[in-house]
Amino acid sequence: MNAASPIERIAASHAAVAPGLPGGPRWSQRRSGALATLVARGLPERRDENWKYLDHLRLGDFRFDAGERGRLTAGELHAAALPSEGARRLVIVDGRFDAGLSDLTPEPGLAIEDLTALLARDPASAETLLRAPAADADDRFALLADAFTGGGVVIRVAAGQRLARPLHLLHVATSNAAASHHARLVIEAGAGAGLQLVEEFLSVGDAAVFGNLSAELCLGAASDMEHLRLLRRNPAAAQVETWVTRIAAGASYRQHLFVLGGGLVRSNSRLMLEGEAADCRLSGLYLADGERQVDIHTQVAHQAPRTRTVQDYRGIATDRGRGAFNGCIVVHAGAPGADASQTSRNLLLAAGAEINARPQLEIHVDDVRCRHGATTGTLDPAQLFYLLSRGLDPATARNLLTYAFCQDVIAGIGHPAMRAYVEDRIAGALPERELIRGLA
Amino acid sequence: MSDSGQVILDVKDLSVRVADRQILYGLSLSVRAGEVHAIMGPNGSGKSTLTGVLAGRPGYEVLSGSATYLGRDLLAMPPELRAREGLFLAFQYPVEIPGVNNVYLLKASLNALRKHRGQPELDAFEFLALVRGRFASMRMDESLLNRGVNEGFSGGEKKRNEILQMSLLEPTLALLDETDSGLDIDALKVVADGVNALRSPERAIVLVTHYQRLLDHVVPDQVHVLAGGRIVRSGDRELALELERRGYDWIRGTAAA
Repeated sequence: MNAASPIERIAASHAAVAPGLPGGPRWSQRRSGALATLVARGLPERRDENWKYLDHLRLGDFRFDAGERGRLTAGELHAAALPSEGARRLVIVDGRFDAGLSDLTPEPGLAIEDLTALLARDPASAETLLRAPAADADDRFALLADAFTGGGVVIRVAAGQRLARPLHLLHVATSNAAASHHARLVIEAGAGAGLQLVEEFLSVGDAAVFGNLSAELCLGAASDMEHLRLLRRNPAAAQVETWVTRIAAGASYRQHLFVLGGGLVRSNSRLMLEGEAADCRLSGLYLADGERQVDIHTQVAHQAPRTRTVQDYRGIATDRGRGAFNGCIVVHAGAPGADASQTSRNLLLAAGAEINARPQLEIHVDDVRCRHGATTGTLDPAQLFYLLSRGLDPATARNLLTYAFCQDVIAGIGHPAMRAYVEDRIAGALPERELIRGLA
Repeated sequence: MSDSGQVILDVKDLSVRVADRQILYGLSLSVRAGEVHAIMGPNGSGKSTLTGVLAGRPGYEVLSGSATYLGRDLLAMPPELRAREGLFLAFQYPVEIPGVNNVYLLKASLNALRKHRGQPELDAFEFLALVRGRFASMRMDESLLNRGVNEGFSGGEKKRNEILQMSLLEPTLALLDETDSGLDIDALKVVADGVNALRSPERAIVLVTHYQRLLDHVVPDQVHVLAGGRIVRSGDRELALELERRGYDWIRGTAAA
């Protein structure tokens, strides 16, 4: 059935789909240009250093012909998603913003724009807004998203505005059959703005959907943002995302990433600390169980003096799961006084599981503090025996030690429903769970 | 008088190897309900191997012999079942488990045992009252309740925590592996009080120790000297005092004969 190569199938799909996408001749040209560049470069292959841990054969199995968009009712969404708990719900279904399911109650300083509508109404400003991917080999899936640009959402928080409610942005894959969806996301926080964004990627149904997201995040001077991200699509789904984040002077960005679902997940984040004293804290926890593969790449560029990043990633692989973490820190010549730390701690729970962790440092200036470390280990047999000797059954003891491995990361999740979900997924049903965080 | 109780632990001709090295050579030991036995011996004589193999620590190979607990084949039972059936090991070096809080382990452990015995699980209120009482009697700071298991505990706090767990789980057979080592005199007294509080006609206690001083506070019914992987001499409390006076070289000399 898949006799044609993935790139050939992408080109064929593009020919069929692109004429129906909004934006007029300007955007047809832009999309065709992106496709041509992608075809010339080719999709990443195993021999590419940055892509060697992903199963390209499996990726090539996904249907790149755009497939149908499903319909999602409010009831189905309610049943599948985490409770929004007072947050403003914004919903993207199969790559398109769904205004009907989203809460668009006006709020001063907050602008939410459906990209499909913007492309149709004002192709020129859409083109300014959606930057073309950098001429960088790692942005090939962003090129793919550019070639299929048809929807997504723009979220803007005006200067000086602090959002009263968190945003809960859902990316739902609903297709009943194998399909691929491409979405764009733009988030801009003006100077001094503040927001909390909870992002959730989920599937309704068990179809093998390929989801591709290209996102840009711009944090203005002295703004701050807390970003919780939960990726939990079904085990048949593939998900690739490319984030480009710019952080201005004095701004603070905190991200907590949980990759607990999706059969094949590749997350690329490029963060640029562009202004003096920009501050960024990234924490991540990923679980590769069953046959799942999770491949996380971060690239942090310190481009201004006294910028600071702290990265703390934990990976757990079991069954025949495969995980990879590749974290690159670049300190540019213009960034004296930069402070960067990165840790990657990994836990292997089965002989057939695999984790590859690769920290990279590139420093072009003196007077910086950079620390990084990566460890991969198994459960400690002495701890395991201690728990068994106290009467705990082996499954509970193993789950408890697995939980303990990332307890501090889980405890830091400020969203109770998400914290409970992550706990369950990592540690299963532990007895006495109400005591897991101790006595009140 | 002490022959009247039921046999709790019966070890016969037990030979055990760890990796490529044989540690126990035909060790025999019988402990009845109501008794406290002390096993003394020099470093490397096999004391920790004995408690480890009885509690089910992995890594031991039993070459020959048997160990029965309440008439059942102890060595065939997985470690968690031994614990649920009432065997408790107080570790010489209690492991730290950051990320699992102490009170969580206490309750999960207690309820696992209660469930096994067919008793109802304790609710949060009953449990809290019970555990707070035990913390007080072990003179442990309540802040240790919500810390990771043994995480950042001093040596003495770790040993008290072992005795606290023991007092909560109320074992039928308690094995204490050098619980007295590294304790100052006040902590030794607290630990000894904990052990004495557990003494009862239904229970048996085996104290493994290098020194005699714990036996000033917990008076044993029998004292055994372990050397070269077997028990070379048994006696009453006087044996421990003699050992203290004459040193282990005295035993090594007589054992060879």
